Amino acid sequence: MSTQATEPTITEEIISVWNGKITMRVKVAGAGTPLLYLHPAAGLAWDPFLSHLAERYTVYAPEFPGTSVGDPHAIHNIDDLGDVVLAYEELVRKLGLTKPVVVGQSFGGMLAAELASTFPDLPSALVLLDPIGLWLEDHPPANWIITPPDKLPALLFHDPSSAAAQAMLAMPEDPDQQIAAIAGMVWAFGCTGKFAFPIPDRGLRKRLHRISVRTLVVWGRDDRLVNVAYADAFANAVAGSKVAIIDDCGHIPQVEKYADTVTAVDEFLG
Amino acid sequence: MKVTMFAQAPYRYLPDDFETDHESVCSVPYSLTTREGVYSSMRDFMDELMLGARSGFDAVAVTEHGQSSYDMVPNPDLVAGALAYMTEAEGLDVGIYPMGRSLGKSREPLRVAEEYAMIDVMSGGRLVPGLVVGLSYDASINNGVPPMEVRRRFDENLELVLRAWREQTPFAFNGRFSQYPMVNMWPRPLQQNLPVWITGIGNPATMQMCLLRGFGFNYLSWFGAKLTGQRIFDRFWEIADQVGVPRNPYRLGFLQTIAISETDERAEQEYGAHLEYAFRKGLGSIPMEKLALPGNIDIRGVQAILKDPGDFGLYSQMKTATYRDLVEAGVVIAGSPATVRDQLVDFCRSYGIGNLHAMLGFGSLPRHLVMKNIQLFSEEVLPHLRDLWTDTEHQHHWWPERLGGSPADVHVPTSDEMAGAR
Repeated sequence: MSTQATEPTITEEIISVWNGKITMRVKVAGAGTPLLYLHPAAGLAWDPFLSHLAERYTVYAPEFPGTSVGDPHAIHNIDDLGDVVLAYEELVRKLGLTKPVVVGQSFGGMLAAELASTFPDLPSALVLLDPIGLWLEDHPPANWIITPPDKLPALLFHDPSSAAAQAMLAMPEDPDQQIAAIAGMVWAFGCTGKFAFPIPDRGLRKRLHRISVRTLVVWGRDDRLVNVAYADAFANAVAGSKVAIIDDCGHIPQVEKYADTVTAVDEFLG
Repeated sequence: MKVTMFAQAPYRYLPDDFETDHESVCSVPYSLTTREGVYSSMRDFMDELMLGARSGFDAVAVTEHGQSSYDMVPNPDLVAGALAYMTEAEGLDVGIYPMGRSLGKSREPLRVAEEYAMIDVMSGGRLVPGLVVGLSYDASINNGVPPMEVRRRFDENLELVLRAWREQTPFAFNGRFSQYPMVNMWPRPLQQNLPVWITGIGNPATMQMCLLRGFGFNYLSWFGAKLTGQRIFDRFWEIADQVGVPRNPYRLGFLQTIAISETDERAEQEYGAHLEYAFRKGLGSIPMEKLALPGNIDIRGVQAILKDPGDFGLYSQMKTATYRDLVEAGVVIAGSPATVRDQLVDFCRSYGIGNLHAMLGFGSLPRHLVMKNIQLFSEEVLPHLRDLWTDTEHQHHWWPERLGGSPADVHVPTSDEMAGAR
């Protein structure tokens, strides 16, 4: 198996949702069965994992309202998590996706689980990568929004010095681009945090039983942001779901342990 | 010129090495305190305010900081209520000025309107109501409001508060953050037009809102007024010009930490260590990321701060700042009465400041020195400030009528006017 996918051609679709109040930007690549990818709190970054998925699927990766460059205030047009879920369902319909595979990472994992709980017939399969959305008293998730930037890498990665982590954390050298990148990430944390702060639990636990599709829960064994104990919490709440624990891995398995994650996901999706 | 005495209730007995062992004043373990230390810090704070009320200040001002060691006042209206009654009973014509009731964190905005109305009644129409968006860590970490919602909560709550004061018949309020089937406040403020003040750190949008709506705007010298004053005050008056509002100094307030003794040298000896305590263990000890949580400041503001952090002056060095650093940056004005009044007159005149808020107690400063500071200020400095601006045509529209002001109705802007401010 290859450890690096070839870079696909990425196009963009612009979809108007929420009665014309939000214009969603969707990165699209690949061919075949539709796959909806929901990105984490820091925003959408097209990475080798998405390129890999695009070898077998048509990947649709929407940018969360407010995180699209040049349209930061879109976030103010959406108030509650319930509105977000409805807007994403509308997006799926307007993109014309029939029974997409839904994959979500961290904040996107929570969103994927919410979408599948609210609209059980929407996805054909669900892959959750270290999702937030639940609260265990013994293992409270770390609060990434109030974490100083210099302490984030240690929260996100088992080994922040690894090449994969360093590549993801790399900043543009041009000062203006660097400022734009930092401000963009800060703002993305703010936009997604609107639906996850102060405690990333908006009642998903009582809705998870509604999920009716095949579900894979992937977790980094050493996740310091959301403890691996949550893998069982999700698996116990979603009937028939499977769990894949990735060793020597933090909160972002598809980046830190690309090969292991791809293997687990491919095996599940068949 | 209106001169108020501003005070906080800092816990005065934190250990010497506090700032090296603790990241922040916002998470100080309460186990560091003693019962006696908390009681005397709070009791002395109240006594200092009463001395201020009796010493000829135009108002006594307090604010709120939830869950913090540098100002143990969760709601300034508790303090203001006590002051309102005591000063009324003693016949003191002094303004009662809760400067920073945070509407960005308030989940019961109607309660804020009610408390202020009651204070105005208790004081016989001497309330000067201050409202703030609120510090990011306080609204979000201490109070659980998502950072992105703080400003929007403030905006909605402000509309409700203003309306609750004004309307004479019951009304329903259908907001996003709060809904009330009936708003019918008892009592209403005695003052027909309350002179509303907003405190900010230099955000142009906040300044523009104040100017458009007829609110007074307060700026605090925490970051070093000599470093930031030119930027902030020039910005305020330039925005005033842009929106076509006269440069009336009475619409601008300035809060300054002040330390006075018989001589400059003695001021350093008496106050130096206590000022260092105030900033090393107080504001300077709040990590920047807690002052500006992601989503709290608009993305354009984040870019502006990253490009040019000048609005934050000495802030980044505050944890190790010496007395000299604090004085040079203008975080503090300290010295003999002549030194202090020359600097204050010069500063207020240069920047068009018509309201000075003198912070005369700070950090670990013991009671007798706070009292000395208040006394020296009221006797040796205050008289020299009082007539500033009386030779101009300007009217003070941001002060209670009973205390010589002529407050005007606040302006409800059109959506076009507000468009640029959001």
